Amino acid sequence: MQYLRARSVEDAVRILGEDPEGTKIIAGGTALVLMVRNGLVRPERLVDITGIDGLREVTLTDGVLHLGGLLPMEDAALDGLVRTHVPALATAFSLVGNIRIRNAGTVAGNVVEADYASDPPSVLVALGASVEIFGKDGARSDSVEDFIQGFYTTTLGPGELVTGVRVPVVAGRRSIYLKYRSRSEEDRPCVGVAAALDLGPDGAVLRCEVAIGAAAARPQRYADVTAALVGRPLDGNAIDEVARAYADRIDPMEDQRGTAWYRRRMVAVHVRRALGELVGPDAARHEAPR
Amino acid sequence: MPDARERVVGTLPMVLDVRPPGVHHAVVVRSIVPHARLGAIDVSDALGMPGVVAVVTGQDIVASGIDPHFGAMRADQPAIAVDRVRYAGEPVAVVVATDRWRAREAAMFVEVEYDELAFVVDEREADAPGAPQLHDAYPGNDCGDWTLEHGDVDAAFAGAHRVYEGTFRTPPAHHVPMETFVAVADWVSDDRLEIWTSAQSPHAVRTGLATMFGTEDVSVRTLNLGGAYGAKGQIRIEPMVACVARIAGVPVRFELDRDEVFATIARHAGTVHLRTAVDSDGRFLAREIDVVYNAGAYAITSPFAAGQGITRAPGPYLIPNVRARSRALYTNTVPTGPFRGAMTGQLTFAYELQLEEIAADLGIDALELRRRNMIRDGDTYATGEVMEGMHYERILDGLVAELGPRPASDDSSATVRHGRGVAITLKTTLTPSRTEARLVVGSDGTVTVHAAATEMGQGATATIMLNVAHELSMDPTTVRRLAIDTDRDPFDTATGSSRTTFSTGVALHGAALDLRRKLDALAAGDVDAGLEHRDAGLILPDGAWRSYAEVLQAAEVDEVIGDGVFQSSGGWTPEGQLRDGGPSTAHWHQGGAAVDVAVDVETGRVRVVGAAGAAFAGVALDRTRVDQQNVGCVIMGLGHSLYEESVYDDGQLTNPNLSDYMIPSILDLPERIGSVIIEDLEHGEVHGVGEMAIPAVPAAVAAAIRDAVGVSLHDLPFTAEKVLRALEDQAEASSEGGGK
Repeated sequence: MQYLRARSVEDAVRILGEDPEGTKIIAGGTALVLMVRNGLVRPERLVDITGIDGLREVTLTDGVLHLGGLLPMEDAALDGLVRTHVPALATAFSLVGNIRIRNAGTVAGNVVEADYASDPPSVLVALGASVEIFGKDGARSDSVEDFIQGFYTTTLGPGELVTGVRVPVVAGRRSIYLKYRSRSEEDRPCVGVAAALDLGPDGAVLRCEVAIGAAAARPQRYADVTAALVGRPLDGNAIDEVARAYADRIDPMEDQRGTAWYRRRMVAVHVRRALGELVGPDAARHEAPR
Repeated sequence: MPDARERVVGTLPMVLDVRPPGVHHAVVVRSIVPHARLGAIDVSDALGMPGVVAVVTGQDIVASGIDPHFGAMRADQPAIAVDRVRYAGEPVAVVVATDRWRAREAAMFVEVEYDELAFVVDEREADAPGAPQLHDAYPGNDCGDWTLEHGDVDAAFAGAHRVYEGTFRTPPAHHVPMETFVAVADWVSDDRLEIWTSAQSPHAVRTGLATMFGTEDVSVRTLNLGGAYGAKGQIRIEPMVACVARIAGVPVRFELDRDEVFATIARHAGTVHLRTAVDSDGRFLAREIDVVYNAGAYAITSPFAAGQGITRAPGPYLIPNVRARSRALYTNTVPTGPFRGAMTGQLTFAYELQLEEIAADLGIDALELRRRNMIRDGDTYATGEVMEGMHYERILDGLVAELGPRPASDDSSATVRHGRGVAITLKTTLTPSRTEARLVVGSDGTVTVHAAATEMGQGATATIMLNVAHELSMDPTTVRRLAIDTDRDPFDTATGSSRTTFSTGVALHGAALDLRRKLDALAAGDVDAGLEHRDAGLILPDGAWRSYAEVLQAAEVDEVIGDGVFQSSGGWTPEGQLRDGGPSTAHWHQGGAAVDVAVDVETGRVRVVGAAGAAFAGVALDRTRVDQQNVGCVIMGLGHSLYEESVYDDGQLTNPNLSDYMIPSILDLPERIGSVIIEDLEHGEVHGVGEMAIPAVPAAVAAAIRDAVGVSLHDLPFTAEKVLRALEDQAEASSEGGGK
């Protein structure tokens, strides 16, 4: 196996282009090394992109929060802009793996891996985030929701790499991520619930988005369910309605963290708890500045 | 623990670090099917790959003139499968190469043909008519069958006030030592084998290898172990590594990956059926006990260990009439063997949870019901022995006091319910058993201790040093202990069964006595001089202190050796009789556990918010280490209670990794875990404490969940999903009841 280093994004794309099928990008390596070790992927060449400058910044421009692809997840979790404007995303990054994984694993790596049981993807979907992709034909972008297609599957083509993630920032938006672990406190989630809520001055819902992680091959968002909340106050009845609809609609998978029956129950409980938090006494903790 | 720092920073010498010159590396090709006749194995492609020096199969071992079968009780397990595989994960070929990565690459090119057979995984199905049979020599999958009859059981049931019946299941689980297994075998001549191995019981390995290869010249060495919990208690990977090294003609090192540890040894699943007769005061009149343990594919110690289902299943209670049968059955699963608190947690879970159910039904407090029935000095146990030195009243009091006031149920979430559970347990220790110990004083005055008990994080070395220091009144840090080598460290049955502190302590006492007498003879010309020894020296009759170095040098002696022996007798014969009139056990192990839980009734998730473990220690040599054992028992037991289970699907173990097989994390523990040490200074006997609390933990958690939300769970582990389903069943039953 060859180990190469790229000095720039263009350099990385050039190296990828020489043998798109046999080459893999490596940054933190927390996912790829496991896959190689277990024989799931057998790349002939690895391109280390950690030497590329300018991909570790967090910036806020024109209502868009930009996270560089090489930003370690721990840095994303601790970043002031992320914590202030999208507290749910900071929470999700803070809950990935453990401190050693988060210090090595990157924001782009997390999205590209498209692991069904990872925490950040459902939050990115609920927040309407998109990924920046760079390939031989230049830059393109894709919403995270469309980008993640299934178990460990994305729209990323051979010869492309992800350089960053863009998250729209909305004044006064409340956001939350609830990670429900059915077993140990250090387990991956049985169900993750991400929710974002914009309320009008009268307390009526302007917009509400809910995405479920870890329960299916990719994050699940049912826009029509939450669209029905617009113009209404988010009271107990409205919350129950959404929780029930999500539980009915989802087609949960089964693993050692829970059967489909159990996951459906946990979707209902945790959608209710997440939305309840967003309108509860501690709601201010989840709110972006106005 | 004196070596704690080295352990944490990773500088403690371990077998993982051993690499003799010229060492080659082995990688194992494992069966992908649970039960099959083994067809052709094509090794030609693998053999042609770079760095590969040999690919060894079971047939190669046979062809070399060695019988590949080994086993502590029955030689039923092949070092490498010969003509049949009996579980998915069983070794079928071993690739030896110049490095591990080349061996790993080549292993993928070994082609194996399987002629698949029907298989059985669950011990509850292994004795059914027509069930797949694993071993021709052991029909009915019989891997040990023990019975006990005490009193007049039928008459007692006929006269009972009430009879309670239930079945309780504990799933297979794993030890999960942090260090995996590693062995390095080196045939230094045709007749001499030197093997380094991360084994708990070096002499058990030595005996097995000597038998297998027909030579007494086997040296088994070990260093510090990174945990074992029984997994490394018997001969395991050593026969394979030794066979492969012999055939390949090079020293061979084999280190298991984590998934291979899961495929090497497991904990017995157990199904326990109890039928208990009580009088109107809740006093136990009689009990029928039926225990089935899952032995997995090979016996290891199961034929003997299954007997613990009769000696331990009555529990710490006075039951005048007992009928018990306890069996181990072969299945097409990973072989099961010694485990911290082996064979006992399965039983304790059953009898303690049933006690809770009886107490609730009779309207008697469960602690009170325990006190009414608990076995006390002078009572006759189900084995027919009159019990002495029973301390359960104190254990129960200690546990309740240790937990303190019950947590208030004013949790901020209205969905959380609190509950408390307490359980007590009794076990035997390995009997009969033998431990020899030797103390050597050199002419330089150093005192070296030779004992084969291994240090695996439990503090055996520190305790041995403390013993020697106490016997000779010297500074424990100046006592020398070398890496264990069966060539020079005398026989010890096993480091296990919580016996080391006791048995090695007794042997060291004898060795010190012998040593002192010999030194007295050198210094004062009289073995019976009874000189006072201190600080690696002795005080002459004229009052002068002489160092051991001076004593030996004056006498022109190179070294003085003191030998001591611990030997227990009794135990049970395979025919189900007390050997030589008993006792069942060198002494009875007594312990308990208590927990406070918080159950979220919307998710079923159980959080442990308080816990304590209790051990009867006789005389606690080091209270800190006793506390640590109690705490360790509680943590490990919480894993068995809440998460741990080896899951089989279609005969395959589906969770042999630490993402899918969940062990407790520090975040799952209550802020403080209490420890109760019960002593009996008057009798002065030292008891081991390594596994006194663990068997009681799942029972205590079951009782606590019952106390919190009123459901009695008979199947471990108590996953959130099981609790939620039970709560829904309960709600359904009560709404149906309400509708009548």
